[in-house]
Amino acid sequence: MSDEILLKVEGVSKSFGPVRAVDELSFAVRRGTIAGLLGRNGAGKTTTLRMINGIFLPDAGAIELFGAGDAAAARDRVGYLPEERGLYRKMKVIDQLLFLAEIKGCRPAEARPRAERWLERFELADKKAAKLEALSKGNQQKVQLIGALLHQPELLILDEPTSGLDPVNAVLVRSILKELKAEGRTILLSTHMMAEAEKLVDEIVLIHQGRAVLGGELEEVRASFGKNTVHLTFEGDGGFLAGLPEVAQAQVDTNVAELRLAPGADTQRVLAAAVPRLRLSRFEVAAPSLEEIFIDQVGAGTLAAVEAPRVVEAVR
Amino acid sequence: MSKILAVFKREYLEVVRKKSFIIMTLLLPFLMAAVMVIPAMLAMKGMEGKRVAVIDGTARLGSAFAKVEGEDPTEEFFGSGEKPKPGANAAEAAKRAFEMKIDYVAAPGDTKAAAQPYLDRLIGKDGGHAAKLDGVLVVPADAFSNPDAKLLYYSRSATDLIAQERLGGIVNHAVSRGRLAARGIDAADADRLLQRLRLEGVKITKTGEEKKGGELSFLVGFVFAALLIFPNLIYGQEVMRGIVQEKTERVVEILISSMPSMQLLSGKILGLAAVGLTQVGVWMTMGGLMALYTGGAAMLAGVNVFSYFNLGVLPWFFVFYLLGYLIYVCIYAIGGAISNSEKEAQQVLGPLMMVAMIPWMLAFPILQNPESTLATVLSLVPVFTPITMFMRVIVSEPPAWQLALSVALALGTIWAMFWMTAKIFRVGILSYGKRPSLAELVRWVRVA
Repeated sequence: MSDEILLKVEGVSKSFGPVRAVDELSFAVRRGTIAGLLGRNGAGKTTTLRMINGIFLPDAGAIELFGAGDAAAARDRVGYLPEERGLYRKMKVIDQLLFLAEIKGCRPAEARPRAERWLERFELADKKAAKLEALSKGNQQKVQLIGALLHQPELLILDEPTSGLDPVNAVLVRSILKELKAEGRTILLSTHMMAEAEKLVDEIVLIHQGRAVLGGELEEVRASFGKNTVHLTFEGDGGFLAGLPEVAQAQVDTNVAELRLAPGADTQRVLAAAVPRLRLSRFEVAAPSLEEIFIDQVGAGTLAAVEAPRVVEAVR
Repeated sequence: MSKILAVFKREYLEVVRKKSFIIMTLLLPFLMAAVMVIPAMLAMKGMEGKRVAVIDGTARLGSAFAKVEGEDPTEEFFGSGEKPKPGANAAEAAKRAFEMKIDYVAAPGDTKAAAQPYLDRLIGKDGGHAAKLDGVLVVPADAFSNPDAKLLYYSRSATDLIAQERLGGIVNHAVSRGRLAARGIDAADADRLLQRLRLEGVKITKTGEEKKGGELSFLVGFVFAALLIFPNLIYGQEVMRGIVQEKTERVVEILISSMPSMQLLSGKILGLAAVGLTQVGVWMTMGGLMALYTGGAAMLAGVNVFSYFNLGVLPWFFVFYLLGYLIYVCIYAIGGAISNSEKEAQQVLGPLMMVAMIPWMLAFPILQNPESTLATVLSLVPVFTPITMFMRVIVSEPPAWQLALSVALALGTIWAMFWMTAKIFRVGILSYGKRPSLAELVRWVRVA
């Protein structure tokens, strides 16, 4: 990991008619990291990635790739996996891959052995000569990902890279992304799956309604929320937990609970209150999960309205 | 540049490898030949053994019609000099086709009453006992004296023009002869006086060469104009379909993020132009081989085919093919870029294409009068240049400055359209569902 800034997004805005999709968004991605652009559906993730790829032009603000320089040359140093499949249905897999490499300035002779290696790796070697439309959605997604990798880009921009993949393929893709990072490549991915982001990314940018609401190294972000969360697993009726004087906010489900404590509250008092009434199998004091932070930052209002019975909020 | 090449290759191979393309390319010449030859053959077959009743009110034309059955009817059409050699199949067929059986009835006085049974036979009202008739010619009693007298020819179809023409010729010849005889000129002299001269069209070029056959270059003009425009329309549609498809399949995001839209558009258009040239090349090779074969046969029979067709127009064909292609395809590309479905694009483009087809609809006056103001003006309007100027090149020799000016204007227009198309393409192609506002469009044209 170096401190070199590979991508800088500065005060970028983009509107479609009356809808402000991205609103003065700023963030930076350092070389050799995996950065996650997180947000709910429609938060402006895809629009942001399209602007970085030069597909949309920002209404305001600036995007800098590889420092200030030739935008045309920068194109060939970026690999892009769009959100929706973007491949020719009637073309053979191998022809398609060579074409995708060629329009990124990589000669077919160079790309062919790489394509074959990747197809092998993704368990698609037997589909080499098949037409794309004959492949399952998951396999098409993998072909698309190979297409983004063939020209060995320094920066990979992946819009929802594991959507449509089964868990086995998702693990495969995640391990490949980690390998690419180990090779020194930089990855910017968008996702709304927090569990995935937590396993993969070094830095996050959380956007909501086109604005960045949170950003930084994942661990720092979590730490900034303090080691003030208690995770419990238990048998019994945990309803009373939300009403404890030490608890500022609680999410209590059938057998698990995640409690955010009020500032200065003593975790031992919570434990003491729980022991006589519940049969505990886990009591852990930790930083909040990314999902909790996510919901806390961008979703609490919606969830409280829709799923009121599940979320008990105690505000003191 | 290598990116243009990549797109070029993809577009070219994608179409050329299609089964439909291969079948179409190989089959079309035969289909076209069939479309032209089969009706002609059917028509000839239909004329075989025509039977006509002649009701002669003057009762003086018997000898004229008696001669008809024996004579060689092709002489009138081919002239005695260039008549195809006897034994040639075509000549035999033509001879059979023009043969006529005449039922001559002298009916001085009431032609109407005499004609009635034959008219019944013509429409089959007699019960079909006698041999069926194909036509009934009625010559009025005053045919020799009354200059306003009219010959009537009854047939089941009013389009039996060849038979009509021929019967009219026979009667007129005999009547003229009769009128001359009445002035004291003898029959042999009358025949000599009435001998018609044949007219042959000769086209003369600046180099002093003489070319025969006005009608033939007319036909060549039509065929080549068709070869010039139809592939353009087909591949223009293909460009449009490709763009709409890339939009709906979202490939365009990858393309646009990889190369400037100008390069993308250039590769696409050139790729499909090459497809069109390949196809036309195959057609011309096939046509050339066929022409060589039949032409070789004709040469052996003593007819020089190249006196009809000027090979010098071929380079012009390619020049105007490419110009036309680039102009139409830009229009189609814009249509594809601003539409969300093929249907929508067709609706936008329909009226525009009608305008582009104007010279094709005016082909007849242009070919007939290639130096007229209409032809000259049309050939200098870039959208119309390719077809109009090429038709003029085929049938005459337009002044060099007009050729140069038309090509220059077309090139300028193509350059301007290409530039604009690339810009509009860049905006339009990504506006899924929502049309770009005019302000946005202008901004893209400036920035993209």
